[in-house]
Amino acid sequence: MAYAEPIPQSFAGLREEPSRTCAVTGLRVYAGAQALTVANAVAAVLSLAVGGLFGLSLGLTRAPGLELLGPDAYYAALTGHGVSALILWPIFFEVAAMVFASSVLLNAQVFSMRLGWSAFGLMTAGAVLLEGAILSGEASVTFTAYPPLVATPWFYVGYLVFAVGALLAIVNFALSIVAARASRATSGSLPLLTYGVAVAAILALISIVSGLVALVPALAYSQGWIGAVEPIVYRGWFWGLGHTLQYVNVVAMVVAWYGIAALALRAGPVNQKFTRIGFILYLVFTVPVLGHHFLVDPSLSTEVKLVGGTMFGFALGVPSLMHGLAVIGGVEAQLRRLGPATLFGWLRRIDWGNPGVAALTCSLLLFALGGWSGTAQTTLPLNMVSHNTMWIPAHLHGVVVGGTTLAFMGFSYFLVPLLVRRALWSTRLATIQAYLYGAGLFWMIMAMSWAGTLGVPRRTAEIGYGGEAPGGWDLPMNLVGAGAGIAGLAGFLFILNIVLTLLRGERTDDPERLAPSGAA
Amino acid sequence: MASVESPVTPPPPGWARRLPRDERLFLWAVAASVLFMSVFVVAWLAFGGQNVPTTTDRVAPAAFQQQVQSFIAEYRGDDGRVHVPPGEDAYMIAARYAFYPELVLKAGEPYQIWISSVDALHGFSIVGGGQNINLEIAPEHAYGATFTPDRPGVYLVVCNEYCGLGHHTMKGRIVVER
Repeated sequence: MAYAEPIPQSFAGLREEPSRTCAVTGLRVYAGAQALTVANAVAAVLSLAVGGLFGLSLGLTRAPGLELLGPDAYYAALTGHGVSALILWPIFFEVAAMVFASSVLLNAQVFSMRLGWSAFGLMTAGAVLLEGAILSGEASVTFTAYPPLVATPWFYVGYLVFAVGALLAIVNFALSIVAARASRATSGSLPLLTYGVAVAAILALISIVSGLVALVPALAYSQGWIGAVEPIVYRGWFWGLGHTLQYVNVVAMVVAWYGIAALALRAGPVNQKFTRIGFILYLVFTVPVLGHHFLVDPSLSTEVKLVGGTMFGFALGVPSLMHGLAVIGGVEAQLRRLGPATLFGWLRRIDWGNPGVAALTCSLLLFALGGWSGTAQTTLPLNMVSHNTMWIPAHLHGVVVGGTTLAFMGFSYFLVPLLVRRALWSTRLATIQAYLYGAGLFWMIMAMSWAGTLGVPRRTAEIGYGGEAPGGWDLPMNLVGAGAGIAGLAGFLFILNIVLTLLRGERTDDPERLAPSGAA
Repeated sequence: MASVESPVTPPPPGWARRLPRDERLFLWAVAASVLFMSVFVVAWLAFGGQNVPTTTDRVAPAAFQQQVQSFIAEYRGDDGRVHVPPGEDAYMIAARYAFYPELVLKAGEPYQIWISSVDALHGFSIVGGGQNINLEIAPEHAYGATFTPDRPGVYLVVCNEYCGLGHHTMKGRIVVER
């Protein structure tokens, strides 16, 4: 790493930055792109560390046998968990992916490093404001912040500053692609990963705009500039942010799946067209499915709920099904190239001790579990039974944590070493971490589903109700706490491994050390 | 990374050709199952009888509060609970941090219960009794749900939408008598 210093520049054509050729992928890596990607990835990992700590404290509070935090601290931690783990961690990681996919994957420089660092600076400032507001105890409104609940203005300002930073990052991403094509660094169709990240970026744009429409009036109301915000209207715009953002996460997760399959198993998509159709379907179906958040709301007609929530909800499962099978199919095709194999014989060519294989396997399985439970709950009749019970966090931890977070972790085990040219601090620990995290989450999700079936409310500090609560709530909620403990430990191991890789990983350009093969 | 298809390099020429037969078949099968589930869920709603039927109305919080007060004044019993005669509409207010009044219903009789909020978003959740019922309650909107309680007992109602620092204390009761 002879060029760790970022070189400021305002236009890609102005100055040619130093670059190197990646030993594993053969791609050209420019110094600025590398520094910006690493910076966003580090911010992402720090956000995950904070969000994970908050999450662990929630799990240990919801366990009636422990009740770690009092109600006030619980609601503050609940807000911090949602903001850090559901907003900051994935968006920082996705911006890292955007920088990477629009520069390194296109053999090009970032369009504007100044714009890139401005975006990063704003997002970091927004994140700090948000965390500060939450820790002050003046923003215990959960990450949804439904009026008339009001938080300190710094909370809304933090959200808005972060959103503007993310918008700038999206602009830089789009301009980088345009510049790369104009300079003929790349030609023809976009590589699949860049294509997927572009779909995620468009969804992120929709999400952020909807978020601004929700949060600007909320800020005005909190300051008394306007008299009222109708909660149910705010709720609609907020989920335009919250829901669409989850599909940014899903699309980015799919990109990470293909990335892990390529780096760990040298596998590609079976059919580029099939895969791209899958990405386009996310664009088509994501926004209408907003309706599934409002299936038992009093403001929409049953017809709208059935079409927008339920039917589009089924349709939105299709691209995930396509990608899940296409990733596995690509791996199978690649392993069959190594020699003839029986129907399932190719599975024996997989090195299950490879961290990429471990993370990809657990991510696919947990996403399938969470996706199944989400599809079930998107039906109007079942939603009336499950709405805002523990079924909902069971579903979303399956897709967002088991699916997205675990896929991002697995991708980081390859992306970080390749970018900083240091071998992973411990490959074995990485593998153990992925399986342990997957197991802890599976445990927690099953316990949450059980509790949800019994009607235990989500987002609630205590569930005793002065002795009136139905019997049988305590056991599953204690099991939720145990699962959160296991997942929390595994989350810590991830952070530890990445930090030690950045600081003490062995410097190397050996492809097998930077991206260990998962084919036995 | 020199595999035939790579996700990190531009796709080879001709990538946009027609999908092979097996992939087309797969997509048609998936589309058919989406259609089947869509039809099934409507049929289930119409003929399955799983859910309580609901209707909604717009109402200003102050007007709703007034309606509930006169309802309470009319049917309030000595035990402080509101004994709803069969056939009459019942009302319940969600306000930080309680559902009130406590309703007393007769088992086997259908009741239309109107619920609305006078402040924040709340979740109306009847727990226990083998089947949960959950509705999102918002100010300016009234939910009318038709219940036919079948088993006598005291049913706990809890709020399951975060509504403020006292959210976990927010509860109400529906008593079903023979």
